[in-house]
Amino acid sequence: MYKHILESAGNINWMAIGALITFFTVFVVSVILVFKKDSTYLKTMSEMPLDKVHSSTPNQANYEN
Amino acid sequence: MANLETFYYDNKIVRNFAIATIIWGIVGMLVGLIAAFQLIFPALNLGVAEITYGRIRPLHTNAAIFAFVGNGIYMGVYYSLQRLLKARMFSHFLSQFHFWGWQIIILSAALTLPLGITSAKEYAELEWPIDLAIAVVWIAFGINLMGTLIKRRENHLYVAIWFYIATWITITVLHVVNNLEIPVDLWKSYGVFAGVQDALIQWWYGHNAVAFFLTTPYLGLMYYFLPKAANRPVYSYKLSIIHFWALIFIYIWAGPHHLLYTSLPDWAQSLGTVFSIMLIAPSWGGMLNGLLTLRGAWDRVRQDHVLKFMVVAITAYGMATFEGPMLSIKSVNAISHYTDWTIGHVHIGTLGWNGFLTFGILYWLIPRLFQTSLYSPKAANAHFWIGTLGIIFYAIPLYWAGWVQSLMWKQFTPDGFLQYGNFLETVAQVVPMYAIRAIGGTLYLSGAILMAWNLFKTMKTGVFLADEKQEAPARLSTLGAHEGEHWHRWIERRPVQMLIFSAIAILIGGIVEIFPMAMIESNVPKIKSVQPYTPLELAGRDLYIREGCLGCHSQMIRPFRSETARYGEYSKSGEYIYDRPFLWGSKRTGPDIHRVGGKYPDSWHYNHMYDPLSMSPGSIMPAYPWLIRDKLDINQIPGKIKVLRTLGTPYPEGYEDEALADLEKQADGIAQQLKKDGIKDEKLAQREIVAMIAYLQRLGTDIKVKPATN
Repeated sequence: MYKHILESAGNINWMAIGALITFFTVFVVSVILVFKKDSTYLKTMSEMPLDKVHSSTPNQANYEN
Repeated sequence: MANLETFYYDNKIVRNFAIATIIWGIVGMLVGLIAAFQLIFPALNLGVAEITYGRIRPLHTNAAIFAFVGNGIYMGVYYSLQRLLKARMFSHFLSQFHFWGWQIIILSAALTLPLGITSAKEYAELEWPIDLAIAVVWIAFGINLMGTLIKRRENHLYVAIWFYIATWITITVLHVVNNLEIPVDLWKSYGVFAGVQDALIQWWYGHNAVAFFLTTPYLGLMYYFLPKAANRPVYSYKLSIIHFWALIFIYIWAGPHHLLYTSLPDWAQSLGTVFSIMLIAPSWGGMLNGLLTLRGAWDRVRQDHVLKFMVVAITAYGMATFEGPMLSIKSVNAISHYTDWTIGHVHIGTLGWNGFLTFGILYWLIPRLFQTSLYSPKAANAHFWIGTLGIIFYAIPLYWAGWVQSLMWKQFTPDGFLQYGNFLETVAQVVPMYAIRAIGGTLYLSGAILMAWNLFKTMKTGVFLADEKQEAPARLSTLGAHEGEHWHRWIERRPVQMLIFSAIAILIGGIVEIFPMAMIESNVPKIKSVQPYTPLELAGRDLYIREGCLGCHSQMIRPFRSETARYGEYSKSGEYIYDRPFLWGSKRTGPDIHRVGGKYPDSWHYNHMYDPLSMSPGSIMPAYPWLIRDKLDINQIPGKIKVLRTLGTPYPEGYEDEALADLEKQADGIAQQLKKDGIKDEKLAQREIVAMIAYLQRLGTDIKVKPATN
């Protein structure tokens, strides 16, 4: 069944072109949205691993050069 | 502020995975080194089948990827996930099950691969019972991951976690599709895809095993451990968002670049090339984000061994991800494919990126888990230099060997003949490079052993903190909070959305490439003269798989004059429709053998397998005396015929009952031929070698123009 559907589609290049267009749309939209972000939020996010407030990691200070 | 809750991070599971990473890393590298030395001294296998190159090569790749890097991923994920989410792992049982299950899978790989139990799928060689076990353990890991995400105390998901989620969902899809197979018995199965379709599926998997096992989880680890080690936030969070989505969307398409100029349809090759070239942008986005995180802290790189390892790791990532797209350009690939250039390229990634990032993380993590400082920073610095030299001594000779091979293979005399018509001339030229590569590998392994000593000493001097106390406020309900907020924040707060969007991103590429290939028959033009393998040839083909011959011999002649002049007519996709699995190979340590059928007499193959040097002086192929000695196991034949018929090979109904008689008849014919040539063995017709000869003599003959007999 699917075989016939796909075969009758003939040229399947539209799938590749469709995917490329999808990618560029998502990419461009995400770039625009990311650059409209709130900078304090991004700062908080990027500092998340540093975990300065609640860190209970022992000997952290000793280890730092 | 909400009330603080007290809870404990599970460090025991992190420590266990760390120890497994160290031990399996050394084992994997050692097996690789043995394989490397066998390429210089083939006799180093000591005549033992189980430790011969073809069988231990997949053991090395599996150990490096799934045992060393795999345990490294889990070590890093279990440590960072708990801290980024302010929560203990969801289930202690699942953590334990994951750890022990994974180690048992590794052990079963270490047993089955040397025994020749393999599906011959690159980076997925393990047979179906182990494939099932991998699926179960991987799902257990996924439940533990998602469970921890659900019970977290931190609202937002840091970028490292997106990479973990994308890794999990993609590996799930890849593993399932690539391992669709029907068992013949406990240790043998045939895949549902054949020939060119199998090639596409296997390299869709193979390339994305590199992408989603060796890259995305390690990028996640980089985004957590590099800021930790450098004590400064990631350079650009914006860049991390863009590069994450671009990377996972594009990566999935790149698989066909492993099949350029083969009989894969051109449209699929072109897609692979285009997306591979595009891949440089998101890959370098990640690399630059990593390196720029160190802005203003480069002075510390001079003193801090952890940062040294990480900087080289990220630089190696940048080099490998620049080289990858270049190698995907068809004209470059025409030179590089089948040569040692590819091996050099992949080791910049594994030794540099994966290895050095793992070492950096281990040096950072172990002292913290054991509440002490590193036993010997001096030894860690020594490890850094030994390892870096190891990478250089490993990769440069292989690049050189690759170029030498390719130039020699393609060189014609002014009269239009191949300058180096004997393949062995090209082998002799690269053996010294293999020797230098083995020195590089020895250096790298020595560094890893030094690290193991240093870290185990550190563990001994410290006191292990199994449960690390932490306090954090409970997570506030975020119901309805997304109105008017930043779109990505909405996704970030919801792991399930993240999972779904990641799945959509990777499925688009997979579906567009694979569906038309699997469904449209015109993509694989049929050739009337191509017939299924006879039972004896089938048995021989499975011996070829067991011995890992495809690690050194390709079965795919590209449509170049230099290849058709050397090997014969270029390969057509219609010739492979009964090949389960496809055996095109990726490397020509020895020559292509797609048209070897009928090229030599049966006795040539017999003598060549018994002692390759007798037929090919200077050859680095190991001897296979056990093929001469051992009796062919024919018990599986009827079962194999049945399974293959189920999958579409046109064996007539009931042929399984006649197959053994046909097999014996063909074996007798070959045995007679061998006896005529002076080979004495009472039970010759029952030996494995006869099946192997039957298969080799069949190769490429379906469309081979028979020489004139006048």
